[in-house]
Amino acid sequence: MNITNTQFEFAGKTKTVLLGGMALGLVCLVLTFFGDDEFHTRFWSNFLHNSVYFTGISFMALAFMCAQITAFGGWMTTIKRIWEAMSMFIIVGIVLMSVMVVSVWGHLHQLYHWNTPGIAELGNANYDRILAGKAGFLNPIWYTVGTVGFLALWYFWATKIRNNSIEQDTKETRSLDYYKVQRKWAASFLPIIGFLVCVFIWQSVMSIDGHWYSTMFAWYSMISMLLGALSLTVLLIIYLKSKGYLEYVSRDHLHDVGKFLFGISVFWTYLWFDQFMLIWYANNGEETVYFKERMNYYPVLFWGNLLLNFITPFFILMRNDTKRKFGTMFFVACVVFFGHWWDFFYMIKPGARLAAYHAAHGSHTTEHEAAPIPGATPASHDATTSTTPEHGTESHGTEAHATEAANGAVTTAADHGKEALKEGASKMTESAEKAVDHVTEVVKEGAEKVVATATTHAEPTHTESAAHTETHEGEGHAAEGGHDAHAASDPSRDFKIGYTIPGLPELGIMIGFLSLFLFMFFRNLEKASLIPWRDPYLEESMHHETGVLIDSEQEEKSGHDHH
Amino acid sequence: MASDTTKVLYGLYNDEEDLKKAVKTANSSHLDIMDVFTPFPVHGLDPILGLKESRLHQLGFIYGAIGASFGFGLMSWVFTRDWPIVFGGKPYWSVPAFIPITFEMTVLFAAWGMTITFYTICGLWPGVKAKSLDNRITDNKFCVAYDITNADESLVEKLRSFFSKTGADEVNVKTI
Repeated sequence: MNITNTQFEFAGKTKTVLLGGMALGLVCLVLTFFGDDEFHTRFWSNFLHNSVYFTGISFMALAFMCAQITAFGGWMTTIKRIWEAMSMFIIVGIVLMSVMVVSVWGHLHQLYHWNTPGIAELGNANYDRILAGKAGFLNPIWYTVGTVGFLALWYFWATKIRNNSIEQDTKETRSLDYYKVQRKWAASFLPIIGFLVCVFIWQSVMSIDGHWYSTMFAWYSMISMLLGALSLTVLLIIYLKSKGYLEYVSRDHLHDVGKFLFGISVFWTYLWFDQFMLIWYANNGEETVYFKERMNYYPVLFWGNLLLNFITPFFILMRNDTKRKFGTMFFVACVVFFGHWWDFFYMIKPGARLAAYHAAHGSHTTEHEAAPIPGATPASHDATTSTTPEHGTESHGTEAHATEAANGAVTTAADHGKEALKEGASKMTESAEKAVDHVTEVVKEGAEKVVATATTHAEPTHTESAAHTETHEGEGHAAEGGHDAHAASDPSRDFKIGYTIPGLPELGIMIGFLSLFLFMFFRNLEKASLIPWRDPYLEESMHHETGVLIDSEQEEKSGHDHH
Repeated sequence: MASDTTKVLYGLYNDEEDLKKAVKTANSSHLDIMDVFTPFPVHGLDPILGLKESRLHQLGFIYGAIGASFGFGLMSWVFTRDWPIVFGGKPYWSVPAFIPITFEMTVLFAAWGMTITFYTICGLWPGVKAKSLDNRITDNKFCVAYDITNADESLVEKLRSFFSKTGADEVNVKTI
């Protein structure tokens, strides 16, 4: 096979287009800065969102390549320069995240509730018990280390691996020596990225919902970034081929990237669903609050996420031939790329909006009340309902029932803070004293209040308390059924372009960041040959064949002989 | 073929690249291969042999769809009609809890369905006698086989010369 066009040239026209894209992004960023709330939340959340996503793409591309190198994956040798060039964007990511770090130290925005001064000081007006407990990790110093510090570390590996790879081109013969060195760097990078990316994500994205945590979150968002990287790889392969480069990259390579795109999309869905289902099943208020917020007030984001990132790639890429067709792959890669941008939008925006709203109105603790996901009745609530009709009787079973109900309520209440405590205590009509003991143990600060409430509710006659339970239940239902009515009057959750759905400026900013990413990518791609000439696996990759040809290929190839 | 047995002339190659070259040579000299046996899947062999994409996975999709409906239907029926139990205060028909079982049923039906279909198509069932040309084709040899049950001498000669030309390590005849 004659190999031509192995040197990419970053032509003036592409440069102009990308510079135009960046200008558009900048204009949109400025647009979202003005005409926003007092903290410029829309601007900062957009900036964070795109910085994290595109930086994530660059280091996950590197991580993916390292996994291939470690496993002696030879098929990708002809496209590895794409990933090497993508990984060089980490340096821009350092700059972008430095801006975030500066904004955190300078308190320029209210994305991060944990960054409020006095949050960990007992007695301070801003004191928050939960965030005080996390203050050892959620603080500006760790934020700096976890974002910029780790990115710098990854960039060191990225340059090492890329330089090694380029240096190999200058050698006389193909030899495994370089590959062995490369493999050491690649293998050592995997645990580094695997563990540290969690910290990166916790700091930059998960801490927006500071009260909330999920152990699945880091994996889930890491895979989201990886899918962004893979879909961008597909798009770039198709683009470079259309420009006459990478002629030796065949449908077989596309097929393999397509398989990864398909398989990892399913894996993403698995993680997405696991995170949801475990929280849904356990039904702990401090965890469900995250999904309650998103399912009730951001349904387009919530369900759109699943449509873009699971339904589309799953049903389109399931077939063998769709992964070998440039048109179909282009379409799916576009959807998945946008889909995971959407995914990060979904992770960041609702939390950032709430954090800013509470910073402005100072009512943060009450908002994080215990709340079930729609369709799931909380255990204590249910138990109370079942005992209500039997309140007057003295039978053993009823007592046991009631105690159980109260216990359930106590556990729930202890977990859910002051607000829930009041609520829980009101339910403990039969064994209020016991509840008080429990509660005092668990939450000292709220004890006095609770004793007062619980005692008040313990004294009235059965009839009264039963009536109270009923009323309470009625309220609960009203609240559940009336979400829409509530939403209409809730300024922190109303439909708002830029939060509820991405608006035009958001799309412009995405184009801007993408242009910046591609600009860096093409500049780095230009610096080395598109073919790693001395890579020992080059031959294997050039003759990479997989699967069965689709009909159109059979016709294409029947004319001439192979190799 | 009137009889149950087939007389097979086969050549054994040591390398999959030799095998691919031989198949290409056979194609260009219009010697229709009966079958090719390899110890592992050889990438790029299917298109040269002119094998069409298998339709097995289409059946797999159907089996999976049946499994998904069955799993979801089963869970729905059990927890709303047959034996409704409240778990952790959840509604009887709580969809998220059914997803894992639905998923497992999808996988189970697709896997078993495809396995059984595959074995049926290949005529493999318990007690069947293995029609093996050579035990080494599951170990280290790559085999090209020709059916010469009704072939005349000149064709057999032509095939033998084809095998020696393409570098076959061994050429044998066996009736299976």
